[in-house]
Amino acid sequence: MTLVLPAVVGVLFASGTYLLLQRTLTRIVIGVSLLSHGANVLLLLSGLGAGEPPIVEGHTTPVRAYTDPLPQALVLTAIVISFGMTAFLLSMAYRSWRLTHSDEVRNDLEDRYLHARGGGPA
Amino acid sequence: MSVLVPLPVAVSLLGAAVSLALHGRVRLQRALGLAVCIVATGTAVALLTIVQREGVVATQAGGWPAPFGITLVVDGFAAIMVTISTLMLLGCLVYAFGQLDAERERLYFHPVYLVLQAGVCLSFLTGDLFNLFVAFEVMLIASYVLLVLGGSQEQVGSGMTYVVINLLASTLFVSGVGLVYAATGSVNMADLVGRLAELPPNLRGGLGLLFLVVFGVKAALFPLFFWLPDSYPAAPTAVAAVFAGLLTKVGVYAVMRTQTLLFPGDGGPSTLILGVAGATMFVGVLGAIAQSDIKRILSFHIISQIGYMIMGLGLYTLAGLAAGIFYIVHHIVVKTALFLVAGLVERAEGTDALGRLGGFARRAPLVGALFMLPALSLAGLPPLSGFVAKLALVREGLALDRVVIVGVGLLVSLFTLFSMTKVWQRVFWGMGPSPEAVPPGARHGQATAPIAGGSRVRPPATMLGATAALVALSLVIAATAGPLYTITERAAADMLDTTDYLRAVLGG
Amino acid sequence: MLLALLALHVAVALAAPTVAGRAGRWVFAFCGLAPAAVVVWASGRAGGILAGRAVEETLRWVPALDLAVTLRVDGFSLLMIALVSGVGVLIFAYSWSYFEPRPDLGRFAAALTGFAGAMLGVVVADNLFVLYVFWELTSITSYLLIGFEDDKEEARGAALQALLVTVAGGLAMLAGFVLIGSAAGTYSLSQVLAEPPTGTAVGIGLLLVLLGAFTKSAQVPFHSWLPGAMVAPTPVSAYLHSATMVKAGVYLVARLAPAFGAVVFWRPLVVGVGVATMLVGGWRALRQFDLKLLLAFGTVSQLGFMMALLGAGTPEATFAGVVLLLAHGAFKCALFLVVGIVDHEAGTRDLRRLSGLRHALPITFAVAVVAGASMAGLPPLLGFVAKELAYDGLLADAHQLGLAPLAGAVAGSVLTFGYTARFLWGGFASPVDVRAGAPPHAHRPSAAFLAPAVTLAAVTVVLGALPGLADGLSAAAATALQEHHEPPHLALWHGVTPALWLSVLTVVAGVALFATRGRVEALQERVGGLPGAQEAYDRAVDGLQRLSEGLTGVVQNGSLPVYLAVILLTAAVLPGGAVLLGGSLASPPPLAESWAQVVVTVGILVASVATVMMRRRFAAVLMLGSVGYGVALLFVLQGAPDLALTQFLIETLSVILFVLVLRHLPDRFSHHRWRLGQALRWVVAVGVGVFMFGFALMAGTARTRQPISRYFLENSLPEAGGHNVVNVILVDFRGLDTLGEITVLVVAALGVASLVRASRRGEPAGP
Repeated sequence: MTLVLPAVVGVLFASGTYLLLQRTLTRIVIGVSLLSHGANVLLLLSGLGAGEPPIVEGHTTPVRAYTDPLPQALVLTAIVISFGMTAFLLSMAYRSWRLTHSDEVRNDLEDRYLHARGGGPA
Repeated sequence: MSVLVPLPVAVSLLGAAVSLALHGRVRLQRALGLAVCIVATGTAVALLTIVQREGVVATQAGGWPAPFGITLVVDGFAAIMVTISTLMLLGCLVYAFGQLDAERERLYFHPVYLVLQAGVCLSFLTGDLFNLFVAFEVMLIASYVLLVLGGSQEQVGSGMTYVVINLLASTLFVSGVGLVYAATGSVNMADLVGRLAELPPNLRGGLGLLFLVVFGVKAALFPLFFWLPDSYPAAPTAVAAVFAGLLTKVGVYAVMRTQTLLFPGDGGPSTLILGVAGATMFVGVLGAIAQSDIKRILSFHIISQIGYMIMGLGLYTLAGLAAGIFYIVHHIVVKTALFLVAGLVERAEGTDALGRLGGFARRAPLVGALFMLPALSLAGLPPLSGFVAKLALVREGLALDRVVIVGVGLLVSLFTLFSMTKVWQRVFWGMGPSPEAVPPGARHGQATAPIAGGSRVRPPATMLGATAALVALSLVIAATAGPLYTITERAAADMLDTTDYLRAVLGG
Repeated sequence: MLLALLALHVAVALAAPTVAGRAGRWVFAFCGLAPAAVVVWASGRAGGILAGRAVEETLRWVPALDLAVTLRVDGFSLLMIALVSGVGVLIFAYSWSYFEPRPDLGRFAAALTGFAGAMLGVVVADNLFVLYVFWELTSITSYLLIGFEDDKEEARGAALQALLVTVAGGLAMLAGFVLIGSAAGTYSLSQVLAEPPTGTAVGIGLLLVLLGAFTKSAQVPFHSWLPGAMVAPTPVSAYLHSATMVKAGVYLVARLAPAFGAVVFWRPLVVGVGVATMLVGGWRALRQFDLKLLLAFGTVSQLGFMMALLGAGTPEATFAGVVLLLAHGAFKCALFLVVGIVDHEAGTRDLRRLSGLRHALPITFAVAVVAGASMAGLPPLLGFVAKELAYDGLLADAHQLGLAPLAGAVAGSVLTFGYTARFLWGGFASPVDVRAGAPPHAHRPSAAFLAPAVTLAAVTVVLGALPGLADGLSAAAATALQEHHEPPHLALWHGVTPALWLSVLTVVAGVALFATRGRVEALQERVGGLPGAQEAYDRAVDGLQRLSEGLTGVVQNGSLPVYLAVILLTAAVLPGGAVLLGGSLASPPPLAESWAQVVVTVGILVASVATVMMRRRFAAVLMLGSVGYGVALLFVLQGAPDLALTQFLIETLSVILFVLVLRHLPDRFSHHRWRLGQALRWVVAVGVGVFMFGFALMAGTARTRQPISRYFLENSLPEAGGHNVVNVILVDFRGLDTLGEITVLVVAALGVASLVRASRRGEPAGP
């Protein structure tokens, strides 16, 4: 366990969050990607400590010397899944652009209507 | 009998693969989908009976012993959820035959629908925290695709909210798994029970709350629910009905599973969770009252009703949890049925905006009855299933002196009735609408023609049949509430006393 | 058998629409079979029940919740059955004449039959929850019946008000039942009454139950739904809103009063509300012009009277209340049927327009006079017998109740006399008020139309003149409620008693009231109605709607960034607070494991901050790619070469995808002001970052046990034959994850394909 890895996680989450709170769709997608990088580093960090790559050759190396293989497997799965998600999100952004020529997330129409009626701040 | 455990997932995935290969041959795809759903439902029923007879059943995927491989577990709660979910998926598939337009159906509806079923079933069955994440993702990607199927502007716009919020929740979920593994060195849920218990209370509490938030987003708890009413109504009805009935309940299941198994707290009623439950009920129902089209009203009611289920968890007693589970079962059926009815109305009239509707019960009396019954049940009026569920919660709440939440629950029940009568009076009663009565915010891009009065409405047999079957099922639930309640009680007992669960997974 | 009779109602109701489709109005004959069967059954069992042997039946439902359909018919229930099913048969007969053939008679007949069944259930239910079930079923069927003419706004509004008010009361009652039942340890009504529980919870429970009873029986201040309900067709008003449903609250109070009358608030509350209702209803009835509304307020008044008598819980008052229940069922129902005939034959119910109907409709007039006289309490009718008993009872119990209830009852009876006179005079005798338009021409009603009203009028005459006929039933009903020292008896003539003098006083004052009606009307104009009841309902509904729209407009503002901010804040504050405030770090870990790690970390930090800052799309994407490559380097340093390789690959693919999409979009991000300010954005971002940093640090230093991955390292080669443990985990130990992962990829690809290939419909013309 080190201080730098949690720091990387923190910074990635912070910058991802900042981008997520935008209206521009592209920035939101980038924000989501940063967050998943953060989550992946966090998952990797859960193996606690670096070590030899977990490639075993008989019993020559003691088990302790290897880095924990399970988080690596989990991260691999997570990376691929989040890639699929990003690709899908991008295609939605593309479709949205084709339909509206706008790269912004708009407020829900019904909600806006009610908001106006309910007298909340515009 | 443990070979049956992975079957609902396996048959759905296999079916999805074959269905994909049959791309373009819609008739075959339909037959295949139907067959897969029937097999999955049959398996689920079999699992439910086995669990009743033999207790918790576990199977180790790939034959690797727990806690190292991935364990699939079915206990009472999981068996109930798989059964009711596969039943709903079957019903909605039949409904979709009549409802979907040809283009949407060709666009991979069938394989993706089966993947959705696989994801839902795996979420209930898995005994592994990371695999739960994967199951959620399988379910979610399928739901994204189904939601934007056809790619209309409204769908893509609403879908964006849904996808982005869920991606955020998933990221938090996987981070949570990372934190759990960092602190304990395991991801097998049964194995985690002991490991988490050894952690310092602040860390255990924080992890518990993190998972509450993660699953709370999926379950649409207060204050994490905002995305739901903005996204569900845009989907095609058969899809929206599955979402409404099932997907949030998968979140509720995950909340209840993790909070009872992994983070049981000190074992008493939780004021935090009861507070969340009350706020969810109340804010949800007020949202419903404020809306003016059917699907949005129904969407807000989903939120409100989830408060009741979480109230069962918050009470944290045998009777409370049993009531919560019973509530879930009742709600899934009733809510799905209501969405299907909304689809029937929308199909006949071209809109679901209250201001443009009226007098529907005269032209389709049967549809009127099919709305009335689940609507009253949703409000908890007797002698329907919602009454039994609500009575169970009220009894236990008062027995534990949790007066405030009971009061809120009863009040919200009245408000729910108010909101459902609004739909009834504006859609099923009255004359046709007057043209100027259309609110400026009414859903755009849908039919604008005023309604033809007088003529009888005849929905396709598949749609009407599926809807009627679900309504009938909700009546059966009410009529057989005695034995059903015994089953939920047994499920609740297994959740409170995890001995059986642990023995089934870890052995000895 | 009782269960079968209830089931019969359901079956008949379900069949009604179909039958109506074939048989038209004859559907009422079909539906009337259900209550008729009950009457036949009850007559057969009456002997035993009157002798004190209650009939019981049980059907299990949800044992775990003490929910069982337990039915019990004692003397009081039998009397109620006479009202519910006996009057029910007459109402179905009447409906046959009342309605013109129309397509929706089926649903009307179905709802009416359903109501008859539900109401039967209310009066025979012994399980408290089942009582509630039937109680709410009457509310729902009442809703459907009031709203029968659903194209009228007025009907819909009245139906809704009746439903909401009674269901609100019903929900309170349900909670009350739970409190009382759990204190008693049983949810059987008869067992609760046999050994009444005590305590604060029971007191609260009783208050809640009374709320239910008051709303259902239209007691002040919840009475305003009942006059509104008069928009319903007359058979409904006669049956539900005078003879049966509105008596459900009175019925329940009558059951509870003997057991709980001693509770400190009971008598003042119940008798007080009853008397107040009697006076308010009577006063309001005096200024109605619509005959039906006049009767409706009269019903409110009489319900108050019954509530006061039966709520007193003393033997004499109870007996009087039981007889009044019976008498009111007969005379008020007859009067409603009369109004229906008048409406039907003359085309109006406005007493300013009606005139001289005594000549045009002689039999109807005769029925009205008899029933009205009974309502006004004139001998030799059943209403008189009941009122005498009431005065007697209240006098006898004055030591317990004080004289106020008696005074209220007399005053209320004077008002009753007054509005009865107004009804008969205005409806049948008065010269027409020319300002209101010409009097309508009246047709003669058919014999079948008249028969039910005549029957009810005959009942009130016969039972009044020969009270011995009703003696057994009313005595059995009263003793079922309460032990009597000696069995009570009905008599027309009690001798010259104080009660008789009070009756004389009532009549004299009533005549005076009618004689001075001009001045009374003027006074009423000035005083106005009781403010509040209807307005309170309207304001509550309105307020609820406004609160909903206001709150939802603010909470659900439709903005994705706001939703995300709320979720992120919740995620940071709730668990973050628990973790960071509740504990401390034992010993901070070292900064890093190697200098390379520090260098890469700094690189990632710079790149990620740069991603945030970039205003050009491509630059932002390239920075994102740099972050990804940096993360891959971290993986290498951590001892995860496979992972690093995959990360490089995936990151490259992602960047390509981004570029493919972004080349369609403008070069720069659009700029706009937005109300979730920059500062708040930073606060949320930094909060989330700090939370994640702290949480990761805490979790990473808490481990005490061996990770399960030791097993993989030890067994990968011998068991699975693989050197690369990560690969073995992916394809073997955790193959299910990988299957899911592949599924996600495939479905995502399908989704991308469907979106890209989706038809161009909806796309704007142009580039």
